Amino acid sequence: MSRTTGSQSSLREANRTLVIETVKEFGGLTQVELIDATGLSAATVSTIVKELTSSGVVDTQPTSRSGRRAQMVTLSPQTGLVAGVHVARRQIRVLLGDFSYTTLASTSLPVPFDQPADTGLDRIALLLAEMIDGVGRSTSDLLAVGIACPAPVDATGMVSVRGLMPGWEDEQIGELVAKRLGCAVHVDNDANLGALAEVTLGASREVADSLWLTVSDGVGAGLVLGRRVHRGFAGAAGEIGHVQVDPTGSICRCGNRGCLETVVGAEALLAPLRPLHPHLTLRDLVDRAVHGDAGCRRVIADAAATIGRVVGSVCQMVNPPMVVVGGPLAESGEVFLEPLRAALAQHTIRHLLGPVEVVPSRLGSTAEVTGALVLAVQRTDVTHRSET
Amino acid sequence: MTDTPMHAGTTALHDLGPAPVADDARTPVLSVLGVSKRFGAVEALVECSLDLYAGEVVALVGDNAAGKSTLAKVIAGVLQPDAGYLEIDGQPVSLPGPGAARQHGIAAVFQDLGVCDNLDVTANVFLGQERTHRGLLDQGGMERVSREVLSMIGANVPSLRTPVGRLSGGQRQGVAIARTMLGEPRVVVLDEPMASLGVVQTAEVLTHLDRLRSLGMAVLVIGHNLNDLRAVADRIEVLRHGRNNGSFDGPTSRNDEIIGAITGAWRQ
Repeated sequence: MSRTTGSQSSLREANRTLVIETVKEFGGLTQVELIDATGLSAATVSTIVKELTSSGVVDTQPTSRSGRRAQMVTLSPQTGLVAGVHVARRQIRVLLGDFSYTTLASTSLPVPFDQPADTGLDRIALLLAEMIDGVGRSTSDLLAVGIACPAPVDATGMVSVRGLMPGWEDEQIGELVAKRLGCAVHVDNDANLGALAEVTLGASREVADSLWLTVSDGVGAGLVLGRRVHRGFAGAAGEIGHVQVDPTGSICRCGNRGCLETVVGAEALLAPLRPLHPHLTLRDLVDRAVHGDAGCRRVIADAAATIGRVVGSVCQMVNPPMVVVGGPLAESGEVFLEPLRAALAQHTIRHLLGPVEVVPSRLGSTAEVTGALVLAVQRTDVTHRSET
Repeated sequence: MTDTPMHAGTTALHDLGPAPVADDARTPVLSVLGVSKRFGAVEALVECSLDLYAGEVVALVGDNAAGKSTLAKVIAGVLQPDAGYLEIDGQPVSLPGPGAARQHGIAAVFQDLGVCDNLDVTANVFLGQERTHRGLLDQGGMERVSREVLSMIGANVPSLRTPVGRLSGGQRQGVAIARTMLGEPRVVVLDEPMASLGVVQTAEVLTHLDRLRSLGMAVLVIGHNLNDLRAVADRIEVLRHGRNNGSFDGPTSRNDEIIGAITGAWRQ
């Protein structure tokens, strides 16, 4: 945030913006935390919060911090509706909420593997319209939508890598949904948005640098540096699923050989279990592992060790204090996390401050869709809207 | 996802844990073998065959009057075949009525659902099989079991005391499926569960189907929308003019192949 020097009024304006951006960045925080995070004086923060409350930009609610009364500051729920959409390979998840990050409705629609873009986009628009109707609001209240895609997305919102999202790659996904719903639509990669959700509202909120790791149909990561998601030049940063782990391995859908995903993607994990369980899904695998099935536990532990080698290299390069793990495999808890920790310890240098902390996602299966909603909130200019 | 054991009064319902490995062994839970059914001049089914395995969702598709509902009714014991027979676990059985089918662990939910709009959720789940405790209705026990079976299939209802007439189409479908769970079925047949539902409700029903598979049941679902069916089906069976006209793998098959088989552009 650049601070302008100059007149009193431009200083006040800059401070106002700083407060709003900080509230957006942390989702919601107490007035005391706001003083810390912005570096402004208590009096300034108090004045600005009062001003913003009366103009309807933010909302304050009494809460408590370490047993003391405090004022929780969020963006105002009256601003309007906002939605997050996660287009995963086997489901579309939609989350409808307001600007204070209160969830109003959520739905998850199973979809076939190769769902064509036209059907998918129609479904997204219909789901949102029905959900908005279900909470007794109108689509004109919807101000912004964020969409999480299972492929890297460039700065213009186009899928930037071929082979990962067949049938959707040439579509202006953002524009097409915007046309159907009549609001702003922002598109980003799902791993980046999972990382954004955890740093804004989840497990990595307290640390500046962290790595988000998700193990689902594929493997992905999102890198957070100084509380900002590092997207990279084509939006492909953190695509660890396409790091080579087996030079003689199978050809990956991305076109390279022996990618991590070919070894620990859903299909690769389930294949050795097929003779015993022909219709096993990733979720069944995790269920069985949690209930003590030795074979399923072994598959997950081996996957964690392989993933740990790649994540270890990333941790060696970036040295984050925390790795947040999401996706269905993380729901098996220590079955996955324990061997991952062991692999990270083996593949990173030991330093005196202790090993990298490996924690499960706080948002769980809703991390990506929550990140999409956070993206929509953060990209919306709430000040001008409330003044009009 | 929970590992809470389920106890319904003195009758234990399904253990929520994963189905035992033996369930996946390759003997079909239910086989339909060369079944024919005729209504006057109409040949509704002609030497029709179908295998259902535990932990598998099979979608049965076909044009109008292809015999889908007739086959469902034969499996549910509502209609008796003119020729051919059914096997359960490899043993021939005859199903002279719906009660016999239920005793063999076959549950069916038909298009009209058979729910009573004026009764609440619990009363509908236990309709016709109410539990009593010392001569009185065991309301508390029935509510507990209702809550358990609804959560088992992933159904959300606002309150168990809501009259079913006030629920959405997807929620009503959930109540109808929950009711079948009381009989601890191994085969669940659903006739057009997504007909005339919105997308949000379709999402709910598809989630129920997925949940039934995870509980280790063999699920047969009849429908029209290939996109929805292929979202959850492991296998797609096509009927055309009462005859089998193709079997497709859910995840890898393409819509156009299946449509070809439905319309007759492609013949087995």
